[in-house]
Amino acid sequence: MPFISGENILVIDMEVLEEYDVKQMLKRYDIRIPDSIIVTDIPEKLNFPFPVVLKVSDKKILHKSDVGGVIINIKNMDELKEKFILMKKRFPESKFLIESMVKPGVEIIIGSSNDKTFGQTIMLGIGGIFVELYRDVSFRLIPINESDAVSMIDDLKGKKLFDGFRNYRINKEDVVELLLKVSRLVDDLKNVDQLDLNPIIFNENGYWVVDAKLILK
Amino acid sequence: MMFHKLFNPSSIAVIGASRDEKKIGNVVLKNLKAMGYGGKIFPINPKEDEILGFKVYRSILDIDNNVDIAVITLSSSQSIPAVKECVKKEVPFVIVIAGGFSETGEEGKRLENELLESIKDSNTRIIGPNTVGIYIPRANVSTALTLPERTSLPGDGHIGFISQSGALGLLTMDMISEYGLGVSGFINIGNRIDMSEIELIDYFMKDDKTRSIALYLETFKEGRKFYETVKEISRKKPIILLKGGRTDAGARAASLHTGAIASNDSIVEGMAKQAGIVRAYTELELFDYAKVLAYQKPLKGDRIAIVTTAGGVGVVTSDYITSQVNGVGLKLARLKDETKMNIKKNIVPFGSAENPVDLTADGSTDQYDTVLGLLNKDENVDGIIVYALYQTAKIDIDLIDVLEKYMKEKPMVAGIMGSKIGKKMLIEAEKRKIPAYPDIERTVKAMHALYIRGKYIGD
Repeated sequence: MPFISGENILVIDMEVLEEYDVKQMLKRYDIRIPDSIIVTDIPEKLNFPFPVVLKVSDKKILHKSDVGGVIINIKNMDELKEKFILMKKRFPESKFLIESMVKPGVEIIIGSSNDKTFGQTIMLGIGGIFVELYRDVSFRLIPINESDAVSMIDDLKGKKLFDGFRNYRINKEDVVELLLKVSRLVDDLKNVDQLDLNPIIFNENGYWVVDAKLILK
Repeated sequence: MMFHKLFNPSSIAVIGASRDEKKIGNVVLKNLKAMGYGGKIFPINPKEDEILGFKVYRSILDIDNNVDIAVITLSSSQSIPAVKECVKKEVPFVIVIAGGFSETGEEGKRLENELLESIKDSNTRIIGPNTVGIYIPRANVSTALTLPERTSLPGDGHIGFISQSGALGLLTMDMISEYGLGVSGFINIGNRIDMSEIELIDYFMKDDKTRSIALYLETFKEGRKFYETVKEISRKKPIILLKGGRTDAGARAASLHTGAIASNDSIVEGMAKQAGIVRAYTELELFDYAKVLAYQKPLKGDRIAIVTTAGGVGVVTSDYITSQVNGVGLKLARLKDETKMNIKKNIVPFGSAENPVDLTADGSTDQYDTVLGLLNKDENVDGIIVYALYQTAKIDIDLIDVLEKYMKEKPMVAGIMGSKIGKKMLIEAEKRKIPAYPDIERTVKAMHALYIRGKYIGD
């Protein structure tokens, strides 16, 4: 089942962070994010190349795609202007994120949730829209060390993707590093209720965290 | 040591001791007597003078002696004043057998809080409530509620057993006693309002007799502390966990993917791997792994050699070793040419010097000795599965001597199949602390437990 009811469950006494802010935080932990700017109006020019993605950026909207808050593959300035007007109509009160579009590749998910028995946990999984269908995931308690991170990859049924499968390859060292960084971030923040970096796309140029959601307690 | 008196009590009081054979207060007393417990036994009952030949006391406060353990066999509400008297008497350990506490609802929860309140600021510790108590073979102590004519308890051994369930604990011990496997102690923590699995794991860690610790848990009292304690201890002593309630749905409403996927068990699974816990999924596995980890060293690699006298047994074992599905995903060792050549010289021409090494129905005890010697010298072999199959003419009980001889070398697990003499051989193997199992699957999975352990220790 898709995650439509999501935004109604939480927020009561929790804080949802805007995607842009979450990504800036990731950047401080040396985690790779696409080039982006946050705007309230159409920008004069972009200092990164097209194609780009236009997303609504609003704490109240956790699942943007479900409400038509994401337009992908915008190829030039004219198209951006046109789509921006459309978005502005849909979400007159919101800010917008313009982001460099990441080429497709293999998608993984790294996340964190707070377990009532064991506290902060970290998850690695084969990502994308089928993550909940296949549930090819592995958990550990935070903080993790390098050998924990390596063994998380080993747990996955799709671990062959990490050695290369046809044209797809997830860089193992990158994933280990990412897991350690996310573990540190959650440990530093102390008050993470849920975190999703999903998808993280691996293509021939490396990896990028394409979407990031963070809910604090 | 804090728990010394629990595991080596010099006196036990039974509060609620009874003449009525149907009452728990009678069974507990009878069991203590039947076990041949060597310490002092004090039955407590305000209306009796003598039960089963023991002098009965009106109250625990009437006893001049110190009391190390008090077993309370009264109802839940009667147990509370009884515990208060134990506190007055400064009894260090009180076993509250009665159910009817938090497991039954609000009123029970209230009673349980009252029970816990009654030991506040004292040195008295409660085991339970809702427990069958303890079984300590070395001290001849059993507070089990089962009757000796209906159940067996294992002998003294090297496995420390902590169980949240009393019945499953007793049934499992009844089962393992058939082949002579023993325990160093059994504690049923029950509702665990005071004494928890963490303290007991710590005790078994320090106990020289205990070589591995088997846990049956449905919940964790303090998850983080459990994890941190076990992670430390499992470096030194193997810990095996059977976790009940695996399929309980995660209790939270989550709005993100990670939270939604995070089931109870997926987190327990990750925690177990991180803490070096070997997981079992049945009560049989719990003791199969506890046994192999108590008797055998961890595997340093994943290349397994097989010795058999039955070709088919070798084939199915190979499948089970190597397959990821219905198997454990280890490797078959590729024997060195020199090893193969030497094996060939010692077995019949139609036997197999390749792994699995098949001595055929011609296989003899001497051939086993030679082959095991050769495999132990071959650096391509990390572990050995050896089948001791008594069914053919040239195999006799001396084969157990040969296996024993190689126990000090590479990790070895034995498979002993068959009902006629097989069982006798299994019991003999158990006496010599050779890990042996009555079928292929259990033999291979025991070897895999050594692999998991080796991987954790090796880090």
